[in-house]
Amino acid sequence: MTPVTEKKDLSLLAKGHGLPLACFAVVAFATPFLLSGNRYFAFVAGVTMIHILWASGMNLLYGYTGLMPLMIAGLAGISAYTVVGLTASGWSFWLALPVGALAASISGIILGLPSLRLKGFYFTLCSLVIQTVVTLGFIYFSGLTNGDTGISQIPLPSMGGGQPLSGLAYDLVLSAAAVIGVIVLIVIVKSTLGRRLIAIREDDELAGMLGINVTGYKMIAFFIGSLFAGVGGALYAPYIGFISPRSFDVLISMNIWLMVAFGGRGTIWGPVIGAILLAPLSFLLQEYYTVKDILYGLLIIAVIVLMPAGIAGGFLRKKKESAPPLDVPATPRGAK
Amino acid sequence: MSDANLIILLSTISTGLILGSIFALVAVGVTIVYGSIWMPNAANGQFFVLAALLGWTMTVSWGIHPAIAAILVIGVSVPLSYGLEYILVRRFYDVPNRNISYFVLSLGITQILTGIFAATYGRWSDQFQLPPLVSGITFIGPLPVANNRLMVLALALSILAALFALLRYHRYGRAIRAVFQNRDAAALRGVNVKASYSLSFALGNAVIFAGGILFALAYSFDLTVAWTMSITAFAIMIIGGPGSVLGAVIVGMVFGFTQAAVSTVASPTIAAFSYLGAMLLILLFKPSGLFAR
Amino acid sequence: MNDILLEVKAVSKRFGGVAALKGIDLVQHRGETLGMIGPNGSGKTTFVNVISGHTKPNSGTVSFDGRSVSGTNPFQIAKAGLTRTYQAVRVFGELTVRENVATALVDARDAASQEAVAEIADWLRITHRFDKPAGSLTLMEQRQVELLMRLVQKPKLMMLDEPVGGLSSAEVRTMIGVLSELKGRCTIFVIEHTMKVIRELADKVVVLMAGEKLAEGPPAQILADQRVIDKYLGTADA
Repeated sequence: MTPVTEKKDLSLLAKGHGLPLACFAVVAFATPFLLSGNRYFAFVAGVTMIHILWASGMNLLYGYTGLMPLMIAGLAGISAYTVVGLTASGWSFWLALPVGALAASISGIILGLPSLRLKGFYFTLCSLVIQTVVTLGFIYFSGLTNGDTGISQIPLPSMGGGQPLSGLAYDLVLSAAAVIGVIVLIVIVKSTLGRRLIAIREDDELAGMLGINVTGYKMIAFFIGSLFAGVGGALYAPYIGFISPRSFDVLISMNIWLMVAFGGRGTIWGPVIGAILLAPLSFLLQEYYTVKDILYGLLIIAVIVLMPAGIAGGFLRKKKESAPPLDVPATPRGAK
Repeated sequence: MSDANLIILLSTISTGLILGSIFALVAVGVTIVYGSIWMPNAANGQFFVLAALLGWTMTVSWGIHPAIAAILVIGVSVPLSYGLEYILVRRFYDVPNRNISYFVLSLGITQILTGIFAATYGRWSDQFQLPPLVSGITFIGPLPVANNRLMVLALALSILAALFALLRYHRYGRAIRAVFQNRDAAALRGVNVKASYSLSFALGNAVIFAGGILFALAYSFDLTVAWTMSITAFAIMIIGGPGSVLGAVIVGMVFGFTQAAVSTVASPTIAAFSYLGAMLLILLFKPSGLFAR
Repeated sequence: MNDILLEVKAVSKRFGGVAALKGIDLVQHRGETLGMIGPNGSGKTTFVNVISGHTKPNSGTVSFDGRSVSGTNPFQIAKAGLTRTYQAVRVFGELTVRENVATALVDARDAASQEAVAEIADWLRITHRFDKPAGSLTLMEQRQVELLMRLVQKPKLMMLDEPVGGLSSAEVRTMIGVLSELKGRCTIFVIEHTMKVIRELADKVVVLMAGEKLAEGPPAQILADQRVIDKYLGTADA
């Protein structure tokens, strides 16, 4: 008799994600060594690792739960400012990091919770408004955040022996964060939680009818996604050395969304690929932000019009994850 | 009341009226497009600024008279709308839940236009000022008001009135409203739904362009008003009730007065906070808006 | 057959200006198959929506298995053992049948659940479709998947909204067979337009007309009732 679901079998995991995961881990940890000669490239790789973490968080919410929370950058910012503030008051970075990440998660739930009842566009609009309020908050409460000027010369975290965490060591920490993030996402997606989030994405009313606490699960997804945002934000601040409200504004949220949509939402590796392609591009085009804006705007349009399932959706259609629906997050029910 | 206070009061009222009518125009434009083709246009602020910038080029660089420039700018919006509709918007007409696709699409357009503006106009100037439509000053009580601004107010209100008449009495307007209510029923009654869609899109954008050029004629502006205008327009539409033209007008006027009043006593950032707060409250507690059909 | 499973008292629901339900009273006992008939728009689906928690009634109370469920969330009502199907068949179209069923289970890996699934899928004769996307199945097969998803949850009450809608007469016969078998596993409540289903399955029939209960009684009596014939059965497919 055919079993209902595949047993949680390591051999099956190996058939599914084991190999790509191993490859990814090897590449992630090797890259800092390979690039250690050129600080600039190593730095870009490090920033990309943070974006892989962020994209995975966004993927959990957008790809697997069907929510498009455009305030993810704001949440990363809440974590970053919290960590910077705490370390400035003498806290160890390593203690501040979980606090910052938790601040992001809790903010994520508080800010996200009321809007969880909203459908599709209204939810996205609400998240956009929340993101704008958060950015305005960062600018306005300059007593805490130094406003638009930003905070510079953020000190590096220190390692065991009092040495500052820099260069190769920091790069490796970021690689580890990215790899762990992807592993966590894989574990979630394969679990009951993941199955239910996918059901919620497909048809949340039917999911509720089957006994699934839709709001509860969305909150869990929010908590975890915000955690990813927060950990990334905490690691980002000392790495770049400078943060300002612009570092965590709506454009950053849109960029992270684009990595997921372009790479292929609802797949594990699509957003990773999306981050690997778009994060360095974003960084390198920093100076030419007008070109970047035009290019990214075109990419957004291209994704919506031409390839709603992203790169991964087109080429690497995996049988284990369900094929993502053709249009942007929504339930396949009648119009209006 | 002392003269000084009276001046402040009258000034606030006049600014409130002008801003309110311009906000109303843009919000009506956005709501017409959302109500008919279900497209929330996040790029409305960019269209607004595009109209203003084109007006600037025509009047300042080419020396065209502001009145003619205004007409030209609004006219230019029509082929732009049809072009955009043909290339992008048309594809989604039969897609369920297209509002979210459209929304993200419009965010893409917003980013493109932001880049283009920064690369062109952004390099040429920080602030943009157009020559006035008419010169001279009129006194309302002790308050001197530029005739130019009075003219803008008159034009804005006329356009709003004309829109009302169009939607209520003219064949095209009634077709748009029929499609608003129920597109299948409208189709059964012989309305050419697709043509009505293109028409509403062009009409809505034309109204936004009108708002933009009128704003530019009344006030000087910079590129940042684009994003502010987009948020404001959405806030107005959501609070007034998506698809409700009357709601857009009323809430738009209220916003105009609020902005005028708040700017006198506090900073524009507080005004922004209050719009966003109001929008959030409506989204969370009464998403159909205050004036829902 | 005397303990009360579902008790509905004076439930009313308005949508804007329209009264969809006007003071409905109803009692269903455990094991008693209840049929609900009435013209389109009489409020049958609204009734199911109210009971299952999708719509909050304007007044009245609903109690299920001794507990009040008025105003409770749909998912909690579902967990209490009340499940329903939809007039237009509704499954997770993009997921395989296997994945659809897994969604309905609390623990998909539990051996007992797996056996239960296997057994039910077998008698529904849907096992061979397990790896197909649910949306690619025929209407009859999708209805079977719907039933499978409900049955694996071991519900106490299943409310079926027009379960044979759109099926061929052969399929209707099969479905009637399935539903009779179902009566042994849980209590069912069937809304239908096809009188054959009602006649063969229902112990009691309730007639809804313009939001009000017109008549209630055993099928033979109801289907012969002149008022019912005049107002509804004349047009129904018997």
